[in-house]
Amino acid sequence: MLHRLPFLLCCCASFIGAVCGRVAADETIPAASRRFHEANGDEVPDFQRHVVPLIGRLGCNGRACHGSFQGRGGFSLSLFGYDFAADHSALTGPAKSATGRRITPASPASSLILQKATLAIDHEGGQLLRPGSWQQHLLLRWIAAGAPTAQQERTIRSLDLQPKSLQWSAVGRQAAVTVHAIWSDGLREDVTCLSRFRCNNDAVASVDAEGLVTATAFGDTHLIAFYDNAVAAIPVINIDTSRPLPAWPADPPAATIDTLVNQRLNSLQLVPSVICTDAEFLRRASIDLTGTLPASDEVRSFLADPDPSGNKRIRKIDELLQRPAMAAWWATKLCDFTGCNPTQQAELGQELAEQWYMWIYERLRQNQPWDQLAADILLATGRENGQSWSQYSAQTSACFREHQPASFTGRRTMPHFWSRRTVSKPTDKALSVAHAFLGIRLQCAECHKHPWDQWTKDDFRQFSRFFEPVQYGLAADALAEYQQLAGATGMRGGNAEQGTAVNPEQLARAKTGQVIPWREVYIKPQETAVTLPLLRSGDVTIQPGQDPREPIVRWLRDPQNPWFARAIVNRVWASCFHVGIVDPPDDLNAANPPSNPELLDWLSAEFIRRNYDLRWLLREITTSAAWQRSSLPNEVNLNDRRNFSRAVPRRLPAEVVYDGLRQVLAASDRQQQVRSDLTRRAVGHLSMRMAGTWATHVFGKPERAVACDCERVNQPSLLQAVFLQNDPLVHLALEESGWLQEIRKLHSATAQNQNNWIDEAWLRACGRLPADSERQRALQHLAAAESPGAGLEDLLWSLLNTKEFLLNH
Amino acid sequence: MHKSPHTMIQSGSVSRRTMLRLGSLAAGLGFGRLLQAAEASGTSERSGVLVFLRGGPSHQDTFDLKPGAPAEYRGEFRPIATSVPGLEICEHLPRLARQAENWSLIRGITHNLADHGIGTSYLLTGNRPGQTVHYPMYGSVVSHQKRGPVDLPRFISIDEALGDAGFLGPEFGPMSTGEKPQYGMPFRMRGISLSDGMTIDRYRSRAALAKDLDIFYRGLESLDEQVRGLDQYSKQAFELISSPRCRDALDLRLETDEESLRFGRHEYGQSLLMTARLIEAGVRFVTVILDQWDTHQDNFNALADRLLPPLDQGLSAFFERLRQRGLLDSTTVLVTGEFGRTPKINGNAGRDHWARAMCSVLAGAGIRGGQVAGSTNERAEEPTDSPWTPDDLAATFYQAMGIDPGMEFQANTGRPITLIRDGKPIPALLN
Repeated sequence: MLHRLPFLLCCCASFIGAVCGRVAADETIPAASRRFHEANGDEVPDFQRHVVPLIGRLGCNGRACHGSFQGRGGFSLSLFGYDFAADHSALTGPAKSATGRRITPASPASSLILQKATLAIDHEGGQLLRPGSWQQHLLLRWIAAGAPTAQQERTIRSLDLQPKSLQWSAVGRQAAVTVHAIWSDGLREDVTCLSRFRCNNDAVASVDAEGLVTATAFGDTHLIAFYDNAVAAIPVINIDTSRPLPAWPADPPAATIDTLVNQRLNSLQLVPSVICTDAEFLRRASIDLTGTLPASDEVRSFLADPDPSGNKRIRKIDELLQRPAMAAWWATKLCDFTGCNPTQQAELGQELAEQWYMWIYERLRQNQPWDQLAADILLATGRENGQSWSQYSAQTSACFREHQPASFTGRRTMPHFWSRRTVSKPTDKALSVAHAFLGIRLQCAECHKHPWDQWTKDDFRQFSRFFEPVQYGLAADALAEYQQLAGATGMRGGNAEQGTAVNPEQLARAKTGQVIPWREVYIKPQETAVTLPLLRSGDVTIQPGQDPREPIVRWLRDPQNPWFARAIVNRVWASCFHVGIVDPPDDLNAANPPSNPELLDWLSAEFIRRNYDLRWLLREITTSAAWQRSSLPNEVNLNDRRNFSRAVPRRLPAEVVYDGLRQVLAASDRQQQVRSDLTRRAVGHLSMRMAGTWATHVFGKPERAVACDCERVNQPSLLQAVFLQNDPLVHLALEESGWLQEIRKLHSATAQNQNNWIDEAWLRACGRLPADSERQRALQHLAAAESPGAGLEDLLWSLLNTKEFLLNH
Repeated sequence: MHKSPHTMIQSGSVSRRTMLRLGSLAAGLGFGRLLQAAEASGTSERSGVLVFLRGGPSHQDTFDLKPGAPAEYRGEFRPIATSVPGLEICEHLPRLARQAENWSLIRGITHNLADHGIGTSYLLTGNRPGQTVHYPMYGSVVSHQKRGPVDLPRFISIDEALGDAGFLGPEFGPMSTGEKPQYGMPFRMRGISLSDGMTIDRYRSRAALAKDLDIFYRGLESLDEQVRGLDQYSKQAFELISSPRCRDALDLRLETDEESLRFGRHEYGQSLLMTARLIEAGVRFVTVILDQWDTHQDNFNALADRLLPPLDQGLSAFFERLRQRGLLDSTTVLVTGEFGRTPKINGNAGRDHWARAMCSVLAGAGIRGGQVAGSTNERAEEPTDSPWTPDDLAATFYQAMGIDPGMEFQANTGRPITLIRDGKPIPALLN
C-alpha cells in the first residue's frame, strides 16, 4: 500500500483542476472512478477512453460473453474491444427489450445494459455493476449525454506503469500499481481503474482487478497492464534473503553474455551451478551445434587433451562450427522456422522441400549473413536476373534431369516459401512472414484485437495488403509460351489461366532432360500507387510495378527494427538453452517480456554489428560460462528455469535420436562415416524424407504445418518409451548393428574384451567412460548372458533406454 | 470408478499436458461442468470407435439410394426396407438392414474438400484443416479426456495412424498396429508384440539392467518434468509390453472359430473383431481402417462383390457383439468415409470424388438408434433442407461420448482453441 497513498493525494490535487477545466499539458487527469463518482456532472465520459475500456474490464467483451463470435443473447461486441464503430452501433442499436433499445437516453437508468449489468433483470453473465458505483455512473452519464461516439479517435502513445518494478523479500507482500495513459496529443490520464492486469506467473505473484499485486512465492515474473491497445510490463521479483548463498563457482573469464547473465543472477540472489565437465561439454556442444553425438574416439582424445579446459573447449567449438553437420542441423532448424513442409507445396512437395532444405544448407556452409538469407527468401520470384519465362522453365527443368542436373542451390533466391498452398491468401502470407522472420504471432488480429499486444484488425489487414501482388501461377507475359509448351509436352490442364501442377509424367520427362512448363512466383503489377502503414512503423508507398516486399525487407534490415534480429537471436538462444530469453521463443510481444532484456538487447545489437553472422552468434553463446554450466543444481537455483543459472536438461531432438541410435550401433570401422555421411542422416538430406515417419514423429519432429515453433515437441511420452523398448525398428537396428555383428562372431570373451566393450558402449551412448559401479553391473550381466553378442546387445538396449542417453544435459 | 481431475494430472506430469488440463479447467464452466455431468451419467467410462471407410464410399450406392433418379445417376442397386419403417438402404446390406434400430444415419453431410488428404483430415478432426491450428483426431481427444488401464494403450489404430494428435502433442497420438489381422494368421502389433528371438524373460532382464544403469539424476527427479516424465513413461511402457492384457486382446485365436466366422474371414470382419476385443479389454478408442472405397472404376462390381458384403457382415456382427456384451451402452461408434462420390456415373462405370454430399452412420452410447437426419436431393447431389457439416458430425459424436464439443484447450500457440468451433450437435440423433 506504500505506493498508493501519495499517489492518491496527487490525484486529488489534479482532480480539482480537471473539474475546473484547467488541465495543463503536463498534468494528469485523475481517475475516472473519481470524476464519475457522482451520477450527475458536466463531464461526459468518452467512448474510446472510458466506455470501451470499462466494458472490457467488466468482461462484457470477453470470449465467453458478448465478445464471442456469435455474441450472447443477441448482443455482440468486438472481442477485446477496439472496433469502436461496431461496438458503438451494437450498444446503441436495436435490442429485444421493452424500448427496443439497449440504451434509453431519456431515462438512462432504465437502459437495458444497466438493468442487465446490475442484475435488475436476469443476466446470464451475473451482476457486473453495483448500483450506485462509479462504473454505473460512468455509463449512466454517457447514456444521459446521448451515448456519443468518441470525440475524436485517438492514438495512444504509451502507458506509464508505476512503480517501475516491484521487489520484495517475503511472501505475502503487497503493492498497488497505477497506470497512466499518455495519448499522442499529450493528454495524460490516470486509467488504473480502467486497465486490465495480469501476472505472467501466478505461482510467483497474483494481481487483482484493481492492480493490487500480492507475492505468492519466491521467484521472478512480470506484471502486465492493458489499456486501449497499449501494453506495459514491470518486473516483479521476490527474493528469499534468508537462505545462505553457496560460493560463486570458479568461472572462466566472463564474456559479455556472462556479465549480463550474472548481473541478473546477482539481482535475484541466485548463484549459478558450476561449469560442466569436459565430457558433458563435448556432448552438449556436439548436439547443440551439429545435431550429432560425439564419436567415442573424439571423446577419448578430447578428455586426454592436456590443453587447459577453457582453451580446448574454444578450439572444439571452432572446429564444430566448421563441420558440414553444423550447416545440416541448423538448416533443419531454419526449415522449422520458415515452414518447409513437403505436403504443403503447390506441386512436387518432396522435391521442392528438399530444394528448400539444400538451398539453406548451402548458405549456412558459406555462413551467409542471416539478413541476406532472409532477404533472398523474402524477395524471391521464380525468374531471376531478368530471365524470360522460357529460360526460367529450362533452368528449373534442368534441376531435375538425371544426367548432370543443374544446381538449385546456385539460385540466388529461394521461391518455395511463397508457393505453398497454405499461403495462397495474402493474410496467410502475412502470418507466415511475421512468424518466420519477426517472431511475432499476428493470428489473433486476423479476427479481433490482439488480447496481449498492440495489434488491431486494421494493422493486420494493412500488413496483409502488402502481399496481395505476390502470386503463384503465370505472369501475363508467360501464358502463351506456357500453353504452347504444355501442349507440346502433353500436359493435361496446361491451358488453364494460371497453369497447373507438374505431375509425375511431366517430371519423368524432365528427368530425361526435356524442358517442361513450370508455374512461377511472380509479382502482379499494381495499377496505382498505394500507401500502406507497415505494422505501426511508418507508412510506405508502393509504386506500380514495384515489388511490395522490398520495403518490408528494407525495414527488416534497418538496425532499429525491433523484431528481426531479436527473433533469430532469441530462437538460436532458445535452441541452445532449451528456453528463450523471451519464451515461447516465437512469441515476441509486449506482454511477454524478456527475462533478461539487457542480454537480448546486447546480443541482438552485436549480432547486427557483426553483420548478422550466425556462426558468431553460436560461438558467442557456446563459449559463455552460462551455456557451459552443469545441469545439476545447487541449493538456490533448483527452481530457476529462465535466468540461465544452470543447464536445463532437454530430450534429444527427434533427428538426433534417430541418428544417435545408428551411431551407437555402427560397426567400429564405420563410426566416422555414419556421422559424416549427411546423405544418410536425419539431420542431413533425409531431413525431408523422414518428415512424417513414425521414428521421427514419435519424438516430436515437427510437421511444419502451422506457424508455431511449438510444433517441435521435446516432451517425453509413452509412445517414445514403447518405441525404444520394443519397436521393430529398434529391434532391427540391434539385429543389423555392425558392431554387434562383430561381437556375435565370438563365442567367448576375455575380461579385457569385455572391459573394452563396456568402455566403448558408454562412450558411444553417453559420451563418457563408465563409473566402477556401472562397469561391475555391466560385467555381471555379460557374465550371465548366453553369448557375448547377446550380452552386449542387452547392454546397448539398456543404455539407449536411459535418461542419460535421451537427454541433452 | 471415476477419477478426479487431480489424478488425471498426476497420470501424466509433463508440463504441456498439465498445462492443457489446467487450461481446460481454467476454461471453467466447460470442463468442470462436463466432469460432473460425466460422473452423473457414466460417460466418463465411455469408449469410442471410428470405422473409417477410406477412399470415400459412394453415398448413393450404400445408405442414400435414389431409385427415382435417371439411370446414369441411380446406378445398379435397389433399395431394401430395414427394421426401421420408412428407412431403406442398399440391397447389399441386408444384415445391417435387419438391425437398423441399433444405428442412426446422417444423410446430406456436405463439405468441399474432395481430396483424400485434406478431406480425411477434416472428417477425422471435425475442423477444416488450416494454417494456424493443427487439430487432433477423435481418438487423441478421447485419450486426452478419458483414462484407461495403465497396461493398455488408450488409443489404437488398425492399421495405420491416419493423422495425429495435433496441438495435444504426440503423446496423445495412436499406437498403430502396423498391419491388419488376417483370418487364421498370427498377428503382430508394433511396439506390443515381442520381436522374434525376444522372450519375456529376456525383456525383463534387459529392463532390470536398464533400471540399474539409469542412475543419472537419481535423487533429483524433482529437478525437472522431463526427467520425471522419462522415468514414468519408461515404467509404463514396461507394464504395457510385459502385461498379457494387450497381447491377449490382439490374439484372435482366443476366439471360437464360430465367432470368428460370424464376423467373416475377410479383413473387414477380422479387423472389426479385433476392434471389439480391444474395446472389451478397456482400450478407450479404436480407429479401424477399412480400405478400397475409392471406386473410380467398376464401382458397382466392386461394391457388390468386394466391399458391401464384408462390411455388412463385419459391422452387423460388431454391433451385435457389443450389444450382447452390454458395451453398446458405453461405446460410441462412428462409421464414415472422407466424402461421397459423384452422382453421375463416369465412363468407367465408376464414380469420382464428391464432397458436396456424403453420409455417415452413428451408433452406440449416447446415440438414439433408428434415426435418420438430413436428406439429399433427387440425384443425391447436395443436401436439401438441413445441410450438415463434418463439424456437426464431430460435435454430435463428442456430445454422445460425453465430451463437450465447445470445450476449450489452452494450447501453447497462445490462444484458447475450441474443440469444435463451427459445429453443433444434431439433437435428433442424441439420447
